[in-house]
Amino acid sequence: MISIPPICSKLSLLAIAGLLCEVACADDSRLGPLQEKGAAIYKTKCASCHGEHGEGGTKQYVEPLVGDASRKELAKLIADTMPEDDPGSCVGEDAEAVAAYVFDGFYSDAAQVRNRPPRVGLARLTGPQLRQSLADLYSHFVGVPKATMDRGVKAIYFDGPKRKNENKKMERTDPTIQFDFGHDPPVEGVDPKGFYIYWEGGVLAERTGRYEIVVRSTCSFVMDFGKLGRELINNHVQSGDKTEFRKSITLTAGRVYPFKLDFIQRERKTEKPPASISLSWIPPNGTEQIIPTRNLIPDGATATFSLQTELPPDDRSYGFERGVAINRQWDESTTAASLEFAQIASDELWRDYRKKHIKDKDKEESNDRSVLKSFLTEVVQTAFHAPLTEELKKLYVEDQVDATEDDVEAIQRALLISLKSPRFLYPLADQDQSKSARRANRLTLTLLDSIPSEEWLIKKVRENKLDSTDTVREVARAYVKDFRAQAKLRDMFHEWLNTKRFGDITKNESLFPGFDRNIANDLRDSMDVFIQEIVGSESSDYRQLFFADWTFTSERLGNFYGDAWKPLDLQANEGSKSALPQFRRSVSDPEHRFGVLTHPYLMSGMSYHDTTSPIHRGVFLIRFIFGRTLRPPNEAFTPLSPDLHPDLTTRERVSLQTSPDNCQVCHSKINGLGFALENFDAVGRFRSREREKLLDSSGKYLARDGREVSFSGPRELADYIVHSDDAHRAFVNRAFQHFVKQPAAAFGPTTLDELTQSFRQNHFNINDLIAEIALIAAMRDPALTN
Amino acid sequence: MHPWVSRREFLLRTGVSAAAANFLFSLPSLGSGATVAERKQRLVFIFSPNGIIPDHFWPEKIGFDFDLKRILAPLTDFKSQTMTLHGICNQIKGDGDGHMRGIGCLLTGIELFPGDVQGGSDTPAGWSMGISVDQHIKNKLQANPNTQTRFGSLEFGVMVPERADTWTRMSYAGPNQPVAPIDNPYQMFDKLYGQSKNRALLASVLDDLTDDFRKVEQLISVEDRRMLQEHVTMVREIEKELQAEVQLQARKGDVGHAVPKLAPNVEEKNDNIPQITRMQMDLMVNSFAADFARIATFQITNSVGEPKMKWLGIEEGHHHLSHEPDTNETAYEKLIKINTWYCEQVAYLAKRLAETPEPGGQGSMLDHTTLVWTNELGKGNSHTRNNIPFILVGGGLGFKMGQALDFKDVSHNRLLMNFCEAMGYPEKSFGNPDFCAGGALTGLV
Repeated sequence: MISIPPICSKLSLLAIAGLLCEVACADDSRLGPLQEKGAAIYKTKCASCHGEHGEGGTKQYVEPLVGDASRKELAKLIADTMPEDDPGSCVGEDAEAVAAYVFDGFYSDAAQVRNRPPRVGLARLTGPQLRQSLADLYSHFVGVPKATMDRGVKAIYFDGPKRKNENKKMERTDPTIQFDFGHDPPVEGVDPKGFYIYWEGGVLAERTGRYEIVVRSTCSFVMDFGKLGRELINNHVQSGDKTEFRKSITLTAGRVYPFKLDFIQRERKTEKPPASISLSWIPPNGTEQIIPTRNLIPDGATATFSLQTELPPDDRSYGFERGVAINRQWDESTTAASLEFAQIASDELWRDYRKKHIKDKDKEESNDRSVLKSFLTEVVQTAFHAPLTEELKKLYVEDQVDATEDDVEAIQRALLISLKSPRFLYPLADQDQSKSARRANRLTLTLLDSIPSEEWLIKKVRENKLDSTDTVREVARAYVKDFRAQAKLRDMFHEWLNTKRFGDITKNESLFPGFDRNIANDLRDSMDVFIQEIVGSESSDYRQLFFADWTFTSERLGNFYGDAWKPLDLQANEGSKSALPQFRRSVSDPEHRFGVLTHPYLMSGMSYHDTTSPIHRGVFLIRFIFGRTLRPPNEAFTPLSPDLHPDLTTRERVSLQTSPDNCQVCHSKINGLGFALENFDAVGRFRSREREKLLDSSGKYLARDGREVSFSGPRELADYIVHSDDAHRAFVNRAFQHFVKQPAAAFGPTTLDELTQSFRQNHFNINDLIAEIALIAAMRDPALTN
Repeated sequence: MHPWVSRREFLLRTGVSAAAANFLFSLPSLGSGATVAERKQRLVFIFSPNGIIPDHFWPEKIGFDFDLKRILAPLTDFKSQTMTLHGICNQIKGDGDGHMRGIGCLLTGIELFPGDVQGGSDTPAGWSMGISVDQHIKNKLQANPNTQTRFGSLEFGVMVPERADTWTRMSYAGPNQPVAPIDNPYQMFDKLYGQSKNRALLASVLDDLTDDFRKVEQLISVEDRRMLQEHVTMVREIEKELQAEVQLQARKGDVGHAVPKLAPNVEEKNDNIPQITRMQMDLMVNSFAADFARIATFQITNSVGEPKMKWLGIEEGHHHLSHEPDTNETAYEKLIKINTWYCEQVAYLAKRLAETPEPGGQGSMLDHTTLVWTNELGKGNSHTRNNIPFILVGGGLGFKMGQALDFKDVSHNRLLMNFCEAMGYPEKSFGNPDFCAGGALTGLV
């Protein structure tokens, strides 16, 4: 079952309430005559529950009176239901007056912004930002792989068990690593008695988390991962029937992990096992699968660092992650992270740096610490995204190196102090840096959750090139297509579609035979690939998210969901099976498929074990798609059991349960949206009947501007969303918060409206929107413009 | 620096109660107050490769009046605590060449799996089919709360090639589960003392950091300073706690808790073998004193190891030399020197243990530790696995030391059973039962 989260934590609400009171008191003097009348009524009839200025916090009503209902809606609500102990005693003009006072005094968005203007608040690095920043601190020395559309793994096949160029028989790109050669030649011209296959590529991790890498091999192999030379699994010795090898590792989203596999069938006097090998993984919360082609990049040259230290979750009370919690647990995690980074820095970065900078063999032995100091200076100034002043260089580098004779210890000291320094942990505490530097900080923090680490960008900063909107926009656009930015975007979509709360989707086996964990995982991947396809296309068109009548399907999904889930390109079925990507574009289904809106991942995620849940679907549409606020229900309700109402459809049952007036305050908005998706059952299959009754999937929505819209079913709903101002604004706002981690209004009261406007004018191009958001974060930060 | 002002405050901050404090500060270590502690027993397997030169190794006289030949001469000071065991043979057959079976079956007493690694002769093979005796005893000790230690066992190495194969692994956690020795002293240090060391490091850098916090405060708006102030207050608290902890450790000063100091920047390379060996042995003694483990293996290079002992004036690799016929006098002499050097290392470890009083017990640590110096071959140029070197030093197993024994020709599995028995866990067989007939050897105790 899914739980609907309260909109805000109580604590933060109380804090806001306190502030509201202070400011709102002063504002009463600005009220017009109607509002003044309302204020007087409010004081006598409402304040005892809602607080003097709507701050709530009383026994009867804890939450502050804020929201996005129109003045008219408020008036109706007051007339119908208020005050609770005597409804009907405040109607007509009185109700309108109270509504006007409440709306303009403290309830509406405008009143809230006026009473408490949002500002760009200081924040430390969030967990993901710390992870990404350390990954880029490493990458500063080795580079970042360029985003590419190429997929697969580079493979070289040799005759004989050794890598000899003259024995090379074939070089190609394999779509996955999943081979069962048996006693046959792996490719033409290779003697199966003894051969060697070299695979090299990169694994692209789409999300951050713990992955298990699984290699099954009947022959000798050695696998490096993260860097060529960084060994992950060593099965140099093929021994007995040991054929399964597993390693767990935390990977960071949007990063490519280079790997190589040396696979050897050795000639031998004794009996040889048939040769086979596969490379699989178990992604976080996933099931084991062959690492799909879409996650394999043929170029595996660039080394990557991924922090293994666990980091505590970040505060989400604002509706998006913010680095505001300062506590021991977090502090300890930063210590562990610094030491882990110090380890890789001395094992790999320092070793290579030393080799490059001490060319003279004799000097290798000498205890000249100047090279170490320049290495550490480079690390620290990358972490602090600014050249070090003499004073800072002394504190963070020289004193630390001079404190010990041991190079490794010197690196540990310098990294402990600098990675625990506020100069690294608070990236926006950078007033002592140049404007270009500060813009670069904000660009990379917004788009990549990270520090500026690549030489080309650092060079621009050095030359003070980020001096105009155009140059900053150019950098932002270059970064949007980066794997790292795309991973952050993927995460945003999961926030926007609220899928993070789904957990494991399970269904009643007798009602939905065949719906298992694999189907649920395939659905998630199908939706991911679909979104990637749309975002990554030239037009990157938001509207396609609701218009598309196709999706991505797998063999499993095709079998479960039937003909509408057959792959478009049937021809490809005849080829070799292992050469097919796991997900392929499906056939069109213009009658029943409307992009993400009706995707079975969402439909099944927002359903109960055996029935749909129009309430979950409706709440999702209101809050996430239309960006409206809803207050939490007065108390928790258990849905009416379908078994007790065998004659009712789900729609009828929900209508029955939510019919009381005080339920209708919210459910009049919720149900009308949820019902429009009733054609999709608890696993997201299309249906036109429920319990033999023809389904009614008509619905309605009352927009922010007061207009009521009705639709006859999912097609009209999808069509409406595509054109809805509320939905556009909600999407832009979600993107802004996710990327910038600050309220849009902190960058100017009209920022959100302007962005939404330009999004529309720019044909709803998602990638461009993200670049524009980064541009605003980099150019309009009040700390920069003042 | 004394961040606390009084004894009482110090105790409050460190969370040590007054009663515990008396106990803690007046005694050398926590363990020594125990009344009826079981006798601590430790067992160490030291491996050196490529066989020995029997004529300059094995005593001529058997019994208590035995003689120490050239190679064993470094053990002279410990003669009364030494036992030489001649006539112990690794009779395990099956896949793998002599060197592979030599090391792979040495502590496991069981065959190697069929596999694809081909040596110089015989058939190819994989890993051992069973657990090794060190890991077996470790599991037993760890299962008993009275003998449980932080690590149970430690696997030391010296210049073990970065290659996981049958020749480089002696210890096995189970069938097909070779245990990689740690041959980098800094890595071993991190395993043993990393946490304490890191806390000490952190303590020493935080003080400098808090000053910079104040400067960063000036870079942000007044509204935002509260967060940074909250942060720096926490950092200062942590710093104080860490300082107190570091001081406490310095005060206690006993060997069991002291963090040893390693020579800086010693690279893993052939010429540093002597220094790395000492560093690793010192770490072993320290870890025993702290009771981190009761079992250890110490693997110098690997089976077919090629150390070039330039510090002895020998330029050729050991394995290469070991193939020379006995008639090659230069090579023969060099092999004696090489093996004597290995024996010196055993003697160094024995000396370090003999010099260290047993924490919380009687006598020295050597009285509670038995070093078992062994090899994958009896002799290098014949690749024989008969008369495998087994030289025991120290009192850990409670054997009757100070004698040379000759068992003529018995399977080494039986000696592995003696190790189990002497550590308190007798077994009906160990490794392949076919080689265990007759049970543990008699005459050792």
